[in-house]
Order: sequence, then structure tokens, then C-alpha cells
Amino acid sequence: MKKGQEKLGWLFASPYLVYSLIFFVIPLFGALFLSFTNWNLISPQYENVGFLNFIQSVKSPGVKAAFFVTYKFMIIFVPMVLIGSLILSLIIYSLPRFKSFFSVGYFLPYLASGVATSVVVRGILSYNSALNAWLRNTWHLNIDWLGSPILAPLIIAVMISWKFMGYYSLILTSGLESIPGEVYEAAAIDGATGWIKFFKITLPLLYPAMFTVTILAVGLVFGIFTEPYVLTGGGPGFSTNTWQIEIYNQAFSKLNAGYGSAIAIIDSVVTFVTIIIVRKLLEIWGKTYGWE
Amino acid sequence: MKKIAKSILILLLVASLLAGCGTSTNQKNETSQTTKEKVVTIDFWAAPNPPQQTFWKQMAEEYAKVNPNIKVNVSPMPESPTSEAGIQAALAGGNAPTISENISRGFAAQLVDSKALIPLDTMDGWNDIVKARNMENTVQSWEFADGHQYVLPIYSNAMLFAWRIDILKQLGYNEPPKTYSQIIELGKKLKEKYPDKYLWANPDLIDSTWWKRWFDFFMLYDAASNGNKFIEGNNFVADDKAGVATLKFLEDMAKNKLILTQKATDPFETGISVWTTIGPWTFNTWKDKYPELKLNETYVLTLPPVPDGMSTDNVKTFADTKGLVIYAQSSPEKQKAAMEFIKWVYSNPENDMKWFEITNLPPARDDVNTNEQFKNYLKDHPELQLYAESIPNAIPPIDNAKFNDIQTLIGQKAVNPVVAGQIDAQKAWDDMKKAIQGVLK
Repeated sequence: MKKGQEKLGWLFASPYLVYSLIFFVIPLFGALFLSFTNWNLISPQYENVGFLNFIQSVKSPGVKAAFFVTYKFMIIFVPMVLIGSLILSLIIYSLPRFKSFFSVGYFLPYLASGVATSVVVRGILSYNSALNAWLRNTWHLNIDWLGSPILAPLIIAVMISWKFMGYYSLILTSGLESIPGEVYEAAAIDGATGWIKFFKITLPLLYPAMFTVTILAVGLVFGIFTEPYVLTGGGPGFSTNTWQIEIYNQAFSKLNAGYGSAIAIIDSVVTFVTIIIVRKLLEIWGKTYGWE
Repeated sequence: MKKIAKSILILLLVASLLAGCGTSTNQKNETSQTTKEKVVTIDFWAAPNPPQQTFWKQMAEEYAKVNPNIKVNVSPMPESPTSEAGIQAALAGGNAPTISENISRGFAAQLVDSKALIPLDTMDGWNDIVKARNMENTVQSWEFADGHQYVLPIYSNAMLFAWRIDILKQLGYNEPPKTYSQIIELGKKLKEKYPDKYLWANPDLIDSTWWKRWFDFFMLYDAASNGNKFIEGNNFVADDKAGVATLKFLEDMAKNKLILTQKATDPFETGISVWTTIGPWTFNTWKDKYPELKLNETYVLTLPPVPDGMSTDNVKTFADTKGLVIYAQSSPEKQKAAMEFIKWVYSNPENDMKWFEITNLPPARDDVNTNEQFKNYLKDHPELQLYAESIPNAIPPIDNAKFNDIQTLIGQKAVNPVVAGQIDAQKAWDDMKKAIQGVLK
């Protein structure tokens, strides 16, 4: 590459690099510094507390809950959103016309405000909503949807799946469109029917797109905040207390900036390790079946 | 060498660009202070709600007419993501305003602990304000552990309970019950006649968010303990007997299925529940949304219930009260100007009257019930009468810097598990006490 082109490349990349430096790298080091102090950002005095914030975080019931709640969400949300977005993409792919129209339609929930949708869901599930009144009057069922440690995470997972299905289905649809039609034709000549075609051709050839969507979905789980914050506040008990809620409560509600930063650092490490593990598992899975 | 020089030049350019963004406002302020005949500009952060914004903007405009040398810039307190966090971020960035209102006692304690506030009683004019505003008794309860006054209380809401008297009458009651056992008895009758109705619909009882304890636990505890303090300095001094009785009351209500913890839309207003905590800010909403709710016809207001055998006169309750502070970060000149502004606002009772009219929040004065202006207003607004009368019986929130942890523990260890039927009142109280003592160490 010529020297001039190299410079031009750096110039074009510089807005993103400066942005990352200001809004990502510097705050990251700032958080790392804070995590070793007991500073609340206001007090003129603070002490270096070493690893105390990290030790306290690991022992804290809120952090322990956040750790397990995130994996609980992962178990519910990831398969739900993968299957849902795959179904959506298959529907969009098989449409004879208006594909773009339907793609945009399914994508719209992604643009909806999490607070607004949570408020709507809270209304739908409230004690005196039409749904609950009907359940009580017709079936004598009084379900405390958001007060149940089993139902509350499930509802939140469904909401987030609804929001992201359209987005992920776009990635999967482009994956489907990249599968050559000849492969299906050859399979048809060999006598392959619908389900066999799906499992033996579509799914393996969709592996790269599925890989991307799975990694995105796993990463997303670690950032869940708005829905549980508005609907349950992390409860009942700690059943929907995600990492972000715990960090928010410590850093912004209790103003323990140092302690909150320590939790954020732990969260980022857990996220990183989890994504690496999931990625490795997917790669092994792909290799085993020769899908790569 | 050439490369290093280039890199330094680029860094300097970026740094000067960024620094340019940061200093623009300061330069602007400096200019406004020096060139316009020494006009001192002070920033006032008002609570982010329209009525309070309206009041303070009005005050700033009127003050500008009589004192052109001090300019008060009123702006809404940033809620990013909470007003407390907004103030924290401003203080951390060195951009704190001169004054802000909407400061609770607990948050003030946290700010005092961080040396972020000016002790108002050390400033010229404090005594004049207290005297002119007739608030000698009110400010006493706001004194901090070091003997100083850091907050000027603006309003004091003696939190009350509302009863659906129309439904109570259907159950044979002409007035609401006043003691715990009477309430449980009423609840049983209610469930017998209306199985789908509840005594108290309150999902906050299973939520551990710290401030939610102000409007359930502390209302009941302040009444049961006759206003006994919960925390004094760094010591847990709560009345054990009253605390256990409060939790036992919640336990009994939960056992008898009188509490609805499921989220419901306006349960009291729609008659799903017959009892609720209520602040004076509710009435304006009711006027528009539920005009059928009329004092003494559909609802009545009362002070909290008390344990059996306790006097039902002069019952104490929780005071939802907030005030204004001056930040230590601002210059002495601005602090002085801020004090002048506050003095001007509170030396005239008409300004407190305007506050009352605009916000419905009773001013934190000793004479709300005796001053003719307020009396006349209360005559026209009978729903606010009991709030004003109960100010002397209202206990302000705890003023410990660890208020958030303490109140979260009251929820997590006591109120939430008792209402969920997981543990009994005595064990909950013991667990909570131990956990709070651990935090206070």
C-alpha cells in the first residue's frame, strides 16, 4: 500500500478512533481506576481500597443474582429469539412479493422505545386489565405475571425477543438469499423433501448467519436493563436483577461509583469469557458437522 | 523525530478542540459578570416537574425586577438517570449549580459527608430567613449531626392514608378504623362481601427500592413508635416493639390475603382497594381523571393506624419533605447572591402562598394553620386541611449518609419477605436490625 493511501485510511478511520477513545477507552480506564477506590465522585477525599470492591462484589447477593439471572435469560432468550427470527426469515424469504415491506414491518419493534413497550406490557398484565379480568371471570385464574419469579423473567425474555426478532431475521434472510438455488434443485432430484432440505441444506448453509445472530444475542443478554427496570425493578426477589440493574443501583442510586465500577469490570470480564466460550462451542459444532 | 512532532501537533489540536468545548460556558458566564455592571449570575436547578419549574421561574423574573444585579437562571434538574445522579455528575465535573431544590434529608446527608454543601446557618441572612418565614420549629428537625443547617426545607407533606368511605359504608362503617385489629377485622368483612377487592393494593410492598419504604414502613413505624427515631448518628435506635408490631400488622394483612401486590392500574380510584397512602400531589390528577372522587363522599383522609391499645390522638406520620441547598463548589460571590435571592423569596409569605397554590405542597412553615392567608386557602381546599394540620406530627426521613443501604435493607430483610409470607415479623425485624447495624459499623 502506498504511503499516501495509508494516511488516507487513517484519516477516514480517525472519527471512529477518536470516538472510541473518548467514549470507550478513556471511560474504561476511568472505571478501572474507580474500581480500586471508594470514591463517590463528589467527595474531595477518597482512598485506594485495593481489591475490596471486587471481593465485596463477589460476595454480594445482588451480584450473585445478576450472574445467574443473566444465564437464566440466556437459556430462555437465545433459543427463543433464534427460532423466532429463523421462522420470520423463512416466512419473508418465501414471500412471492413485498419482501422489503414485511422486513421493515418486522424490524419496527427494534426501533420502539423499551420504556414505552414496557409501560404497555405493564398495562396489559395489570390486575385490572382486560386480559386478567377475562382470566379471572372465565377461568377463575388470578395470575400475578410480574410477581412470579418464574413468569417475570419469561415475560421479559418474550418482550426482548419480540424486539430483536425482526432485526435478526434481516441477517438470516440475507443468509438465506445467499444459498444457491441449484443446491435445492440437486437435492430435489435426489428426492429430498421439505424438512430434509431444511435440516440438510438450509440450516448448515445458514450457519455463518446463525453464528453472527447467536453471538449478538448472547452479548445482548448482558445488556438487559430497560424492561426489567420498568416492569419489575429487578424483582421479585432478585429474579430479574440483571448486571445493568445492579450497576445502575450501585453507581447511580446508591452513588457508590467505585463499587459500581468494580461490578461493571466483573460484568465485562464475564461477558467476554462467555462470548469466547459460546464462540468456541459454535465453532466446534460447525466443524463437527462440516458446516463452516 | 518528524513523526513525533506531527503526533504532538495532532494531539495538541485535538486537545485544544476539546478544551474549547469545555470552557465556552465559563467564558460566557465570566463575561456576563464583568461587563454588565457586575451582574452576578446564579444557576438554580429546580425539581423537574412543571409546577415547581413555574414557581421558580416566576420568582426569578420578579426578583430580576427588584434586583438587577443578581440574575437567577432557573433550569430543570437533570435526571440522568436520576436527579441525585445528575447532581453527582455535575459535582464530579465541577459544573454544579449555585442552588438546587428537591433535596431530601438523606441525600443531603450524603452531600454533607462529601463536603459538597455550605452550612446555611453560617451565612449572613440565615436567621433573618428563619424568622421572616416563621419556621423556627420546622428547621429544628432538619439540624444535622454536626449541629449545622445545610438544607432550607421548602415543603413538608405529612403523608396520609385515604379510605374509600363509600365502600366502607356498604360494610357498615361510618368512619375508618384506627387500630391494627380494627383494620384486619374490616379487611375480613370486605373479603367476605367482595372477594375480588383488597384492603390495600400496593406492589411496592414486595419491591426493595429504598424510597418506597417512606410510603409504607415509615408511615406505619412513625405512628407505632410515636415518632421514635430509627437511626441517630451512626446508631440504630429504632423502637423494637413498635417495629415488630408494624411488621406483624403487615404479616397479618398478608396472611388474611388483604394485600394485593400485583400491579394494578389506579386500584384505589377504581375501587379495587379501599385503603391507600396519599400525597397532596394526587388531588390535581384526580380532578381531571377521577372527578367523581369527592372528599367525605367517596373518600376520607386519615393519619396512619396504630397498634391496639395506643392512643389514636396526635398520631405521628412520615414527612415527605424536601428543601434547597447551596453548593460549596460555587464561588463565595455566587453563594452570597444565592442567599440574597432565598432571603427575598422567603421574606414574603405571599411567595409561599403562591408555592402552595401552584404545587399543592404545604410550605415548611410553623404557621400554615394560623396565618390568615393559608387558612383562607385551606378553607377552599379542604382536602389539604389535614396535611397542614399534621405538619407538627410529621417525622422527617433519616439523615444518615447510608440512607439508601439502610432503607433497601428494610425492604429486603423485613417488609418484602414478611408480605411475601416467607418469614415472621420477629425474625424479619431481627434480621433487618443485624444487617443495618452491619452497614452502620
